[in-house]
Amino acid sequence: MFDWIKHINKEYPEFWKKYLSKFDHRSKRFITLNLEISGNDPQKDVIFSFGGIGVFNNAIVVGDSFEVIIPQYKYLHDNGLDNEFIIESKQDKLSENQAIEAFVNYIGNAVLVGHRIHHDVDLINEALEKLGCGRLKNEALDIEIMHRKLNDITDRQFSLDELAQFYKIPSADRMTAIDDAYIMALLFLKLKSRLGIN
Amino acid sequence: MRNSIAERIADFLKDFPPFNKLSYDDLLRIASDIRVVTLDKNQTLFKINDTLHDSFYVVGSGVVNLTVIADAEENLLNKCVPGDIFGLRPFFARNNYMMTAKAREDSIVYAIPIAAFRPFVAQNSAVLDFLLESFATNSRNPADKEVRGKLISDTHITTEPQPEMQFFQSLSYNKSPLTASTATLVKDIASKMTEHLSDCAIVTQGEIPLGILTDADLRSKIATGRFPVTIAVDRVMAAPVISVPENVSLAEAQLLLLKNNVTHLVVTVDGSDKSPLKGVISQHDLIAAQANNPGILIKEIKRSQHPRELKNVREKMAELIRSSLSKNIPMPHVANIASEINMGIIKRSVEIAILDLGSPPARFTWLAIGSQGRKEQLLLTDQDSMLVFEDVAAEKHKEVKDYFVRLAKRTVAVLEKVGYPPCPNGHIASNIVWCRSISDWVKQYQSWMTTPGEKSNEISPVFFDFELAFGESKLEEALLDVVYSNARRNSFFDYLGNDALRKPPPLSFFKKFNVEEEGEHRNKFDIKLKGIMPLVDGARLLALGQNLRGITNTYMRFKQLAMLEPKFSETYLSCAEAFLTLSKYRALEGMKYDSDGRYVNLEELSKIDKEKLKAALEPMRELEEIIKDKFRLTQFS
Repeated sequence: MFDWIKHINKEYPEFWKKYLSKFDHRSKRFITLNLEISGNDPQKDVIFSFGGIGVFNNAIVVGDSFEVIIPQYKYLHDNGLDNEFIIESKQDKLSENQAIEAFVNYIGNAVLVGHRIHHDVDLINEALEKLGCGRLKNEALDIEIMHRKLNDITDRQFSLDELAQFYKIPSADRMTAIDDAYIMALLFLKLKSRLGIN
Repeated sequence: MRNSIAERIADFLKDFPPFNKLSYDDLLRIASDIRVVTLDKNQTLFKINDTLHDSFYVVGSGVVNLTVIADAEENLLNKCVPGDIFGLRPFFARNNYMMTAKAREDSIVYAIPIAAFRPFVAQNSAVLDFLLESFATNSRNPADKEVRGKLISDTHITTEPQPEMQFFQSLSYNKSPLTASTATLVKDIASKMTEHLSDCAIVTQGEIPLGILTDADLRSKIATGRFPVTIAVDRVMAAPVISVPENVSLAEAQLLLLKNNVTHLVVTVDGSDKSPLKGVISQHDLIAAQANNPGILIKEIKRSQHPRELKNVREKMAELIRSSLSKNIPMPHVANIASEINMGIIKRSVEIAILDLGSPPARFTWLAIGSQGRKEQLLLTDQDSMLVFEDVAAEKHKEVKDYFVRLAKRTVAVLEKVGYPPCPNGHIASNIVWCRSISDWVKQYQSWMTTPGEKSNEISPVFFDFELAFGESKLEEALLDVVYSNARRNSFFDYLGNDALRKPPPLSFFKKFNVEEEGEHRNKFDIKLKGIMPLVDGARLLALGQNLRGITNTYMRFKQLAMLEPKFSETYLSCAEAFLTLSKYRALEGMKYDSDGRYVNLEELSKIDKEKLKAALEPMRELEEIIKDKFRLTQFS
């Protein structure tokens, strides 16, 4: 509750100040966000990769995408996991600090959209704290909740696959985080028009 | 930074024109400017008179219909499938959209911003040509599809090809006519013409056309004996030729033919007979351009050399059926025409296969079975067929059978390219089980009819409706003899009768439609299984029982039965009518969704249509009673 007291008078990193200054007006930009993570415990688990794609004016903006891999050497080493595939892959790799900074610069004040997005946000907040920043200020929407609301279902959970099937989204070629983000974006467009969100 | 989604889209685009003319790097750059839009079923992307969008569209998945409104009616111009381009208007024109784009099913379209694409157009003239051609194309003729590749014009103003408009469309004609030098012998030219199925040959010097030799010349000058066949062609050819420039209109061409009293026009670069040859227009081209007329379609089938050409005919036929149904032309006529054309296509496919494989080592006959055998095929349905060849010496049997199996495989492949998928149950001649010698077939039929259900549970009743498609009619006669001499057996009728009655009832106790309860076609009505099949099966059973030979069509069977059995004539006649009504609804449904029309979406039918459909399902119950009564079917037989 007294979180703000801790942060009072604290000097934030430069990129974070810039991020905060973007929130004077409401954004019309949405970003569907998908993280590959090791688990849902914000204390222990880490982010492996980011995939994000922008949605603006009822269309997916292909150019507005973000994909970065974080080779979590320490985590993988501690847990005795093999990380060869990550190191070998041709995708852009950044250290966690750089990745978080790039990510914050990328999202700006956009509304985040995801599937069970609170887990993702928790993990990002954890990583931000390590950098001495505050918590994300973006609004967040969850497509699973949107779907449940649209169909008045309260007692069931829906995986991304089930949702894609329900809305007849072709979901071939799913390899990296951004492919799922793309499917989420298509789902979001459908849900958005049905729920009348602008 | 890398952009995997842009790569995915570039990978998709690179297979389709005009994108296949661009380098992959360019495509990537274009792809990263793309915006992806989802369309729900029946959602409109743009309407007539909407202001232009700043992008054009490529269908990524699903189907988008382009329509125009004419006479307060929505007319379908084109269906865009994945890879098709549409909405090119903003590229070339400033005025508002001239058509409506609406998703026929849930679709994803890629919007490519004009501003991002324009630089690539400027650099690459092939792309520009493609787009221009696409935009300017003005024909609905399915034959033009292959010329245009995968592009969808948006310049249409009217859909119905209006007769007067048609006369000003430009003609498609033979662009690589048969040519010969002046010294060639008439004999050689005649054999070349026969080989190429051409009715004329152009005599040229270099590329300049000097004269023309046509079928009529051969008839009047050679066959009459006035000149020997070994004469040089320049002595008998008609010269000079009547020449026209490229892109001559239909009306002009017709006038020229009449004025000069000739049968062919020679197309040259500048329209004079002193410039290089470009092609030849025959009377046939003029007729073909004018109408989708069944006679002409048959003629075109006979001239086809390639499955692709047959496919065009098939598509024209779909158009013909569509317009016939909307003009309320009686169903039996439509069905007749459709089955004649289908038969023609099957026949030509067998011929094409024979041309490929060499002449057959024994006489044979290709029988169409199932719906095609009954001449009830309106839509693109699957192919069912069987092949019967005459008995050969035992040591040659294997070799002969091998040939026919290969022939059947070939034919089936051709038909598949034309657009008939093979039967899912494998009832096709390329299956070695259904490609046999006549004595094997006789044995097969005998075992089916004397001990039905004993060896195999599946005697498919489709084998009892067959129709000669190609080959010896004697072999077909022999099979018919077997069927009708064995048809007196009770066990066979028991079997067929029970098979006919086993279909689920179409209407519930409360006169509601029994719709599909689950699966992909939920809440739709299975008109094939619950409406058409019981009538077909009933008609077959009764016709076999009455020894009605040579009639396989369900409608005709009921009509004949009504004459033979006045006691039940009322029921039979209402069954005949019901069959037509049901086929019509199936065809309409199929046309609408490009499917085989098996599942009818009741929600889209008007109340009157629903009542009509229900009325057509009524006589079935009476028919069942007759069958039960006649063949004394019990629960256990």
